[in-house]
Amino acid sequence: MNAASDALWARLREAGLVEGDVPPDAVHMPWYVRVMMGFAGWIGALFLMGFVGAAFAVVYKVPASGLVIGALMCGGATALFRAKPDSDFFEQFGLAVSLAGQGLMGYGLGSLFAFDVGTTALLFALVEVALFLLIPSFLHRVISAAAAGASLVVAATDWGFYHFTGAVVFAAFAWAWLNEFRLIRRGVEVRSFAYGMTLLVIGQLVMLAGARAINDAVLGHGRHAIGGAAAPWIGPIVVGIVFVVVVWRLLARQRVAPGSGPGLAALAGALVVAVVSLKAPGFGVCVAIVLLGHAHGNHVLSGLGIAALVAYWSWYYYSLEITLLEKSAVLAGAGVVLVLARLAMNARWPRAGAKGAGDA
Amino acid sequence: MKSTRHHLIDWAQAGRLEPGSLERAFEAAGAFPDGAAWLRFLDRLLLWLGALLIAAGVIFFFAYNWNDLGRYAKFGLVELLVVAALAVIWRLGLETLAGKVTLLAAALFVGALLALVGQTYQTGADTHELFSAWAVLILPWVLVGRFSALWIVWLGLLNAAVTFYYVVFGGLFGVLFAPDRLMWVLFGLNVVALLAWEGLASGRADDRWAIRILATASGGIATALAMFAIVDFRHAGGWGLVAWLAYIAGAYALYRRTRPDLYVLAGGVLSIIVVVTTWLTRALLTHGEAAGAFLLIGMLVIGMSAAGGWWLRRIAMELQS
Repeated sequence: MNAASDALWARLREAGLVEGDVPPDAVHMPWYVRVMMGFAGWIGALFLMGFVGAAFAVVYKVPASGLVIGALMCGGATALFRAKPDSDFFEQFGLAVSLAGQGLMGYGLGSLFAFDVGTTALLFALVEVALFLLIPSFLHRVISAAAAGASLVVAATDWGFYHFTGAVVFAAFAWAWLNEFRLIRRGVEVRSFAYGMTLLVIGQLVMLAGARAINDAVLGHGRHAIGGAAAPWIGPIVVGIVFVVVVWRLLARQRVAPGSGPGLAALAGALVVAVVSLKAPGFGVCVAIVLLGHAHGNHVLSGLGIAALVAYWSWYYYSLEITLLEKSAVLAGAGVVLVLARLAMNARWPRAGAKGAGDA
Repeated sequence: MKSTRHHLIDWAQAGRLEPGSLERAFEAAGAFPDGAAWLRFLDRLLLWLGALLIAAGVIFFFAYNWNDLGRYAKFGLVELLVVAALAVIWRLGLETLAGKVTLLAAALFVGALLALVGQTYQTGADTHELFSAWAVLILPWVLVGRFSALWIVWLGLLNAAVTFYYVVFGGLFGVLFAPDRLMWVLFGLNVVALLAWEGLASGRADDRWAIRILATASGGIATALAMFAIVDFRHAGGWGLVAWLAYIAGAYALYRRTRPDLYVLAGGVLSIIVVVTTWLTRALLTHGEAAGAFLLIGMLVIGMSAAGGWWLRRIAMELQS
């Protein structure tokens, strides 16, 4: 309990939103502690998998046995998490056992279905959905949400829906963050799902370079991408539409009328981002992460978005098949446009007395 | 320090807010950015991205080595850019963020100018000379700029100069197979930078991110030195372990007691887990029964990280109150 939380509580009481005394302060574990714990849990899981492999060679000979042992480990981990939700040791132990169990189940499913990628990935996604619902740990839920989403992406890719997966994940990401404050009783689930989708959306951008190669070489099996010649455009168009919807919803929250000056400026900026996203869908995705992070007072999210934006932009221009001279012109041109936009914004809405919200 | 956002979410989860009122609570608490906050945010975002894109465009332009443009035109162009940037800084002043970001861009243009010199006159200079000349030339700007991002860029140049020096004189294979000399120099460089920063900036809250970058760099190299010492003990000697132990002890003293920083402490916990796991793997898995060793190491990793998590939670609680 401290002065800041006391003052905050008093403000909420004045607004009639809370009653009674300030609740005791719950500890907040920053993101980097969670990342560290997740990474350590993953190292532990690798050794546990090594143990199972060395002790029970049958796992690698009879596919179903890996599935059974993995399921037993996940079940045991679920029981641990539910029995001791507040214990640091059991949370970490449960995380490692569960991750190792998931690894074994993935291997078992893969061997059982003779490495039919689509079926294996779909069944693995169902396992992850079950773990997401059953295990009451924030960190575990983030991992399960990202793993379930990634498995569905792999399955959809195998079935020929490659071009749409990015847009669907982006839509799920945007839905989760826009509804962060609505489903208050399911707040933990929504937030962990939202972070899982954020990881997946960024992971997909990272994988973008290799994704087409993977699709052709490993997953394709000669199946054609569904949607024909229009397919490569449908995904980016959906990304653009989702981006405009995100900006629209944020304007509504700010109570800025879409027809007002700031509203029109924001929507025009959103449209520009949507059009650029037709050629570079990652641009809209990264800008949306930045905007949603800032709008929700979530600095981790906006920081992640800015890092993703810079990394994506670097990769995009690096991989673009034009000469350095053309790249230089596009980059410097875009930079000049942004600086001019900034000057125009500051001239139109001088910051001292600014009231409206602009968005670009 | 727990943010308003986390307070509100915790209270909502504890059932202390009416269902459906979290959004209104955010509004009442001023946790959603208002119009002015949006403008400030967009102003910075556009400034940073604009400056970075322009600097990248300039560097790409000179990398293209356009034959249609004479050498004097090229020199004139990049020098004009430097002068133009300095004129903008003169007009905006070094106290504004826009002035500081423009100074950063000017420092990047100097790199383009040096690269152009090397490209035009084929001076035979090595890459490390480019980076060290660049660092030396912009040092006065870095000193007067008093801008954390510019210092981090400058330290990045020093790290690059040292790395390329060893790549040239040790040969690429030397760096790949006997990386310890390079790592020792980089370790020393980043530790000195970290200590100097802590000494000179003395607890300014707004550039913790820069300290964390330096702590990540020096701590990461310390961890790698310790791992090399364990895996290749005869070759590397035990000094890597000694340096790592000294680093961990120093980091504990500084960031647990004097200037508490949970980020550095969490990194320290991870470093200990990684080094101890490397040692156990080397000691137990190279001979003897594998299954038992795997289980033992796995359980020890879990135990160490759980204990680390418990310790970090206690410190988080302490810092929060």
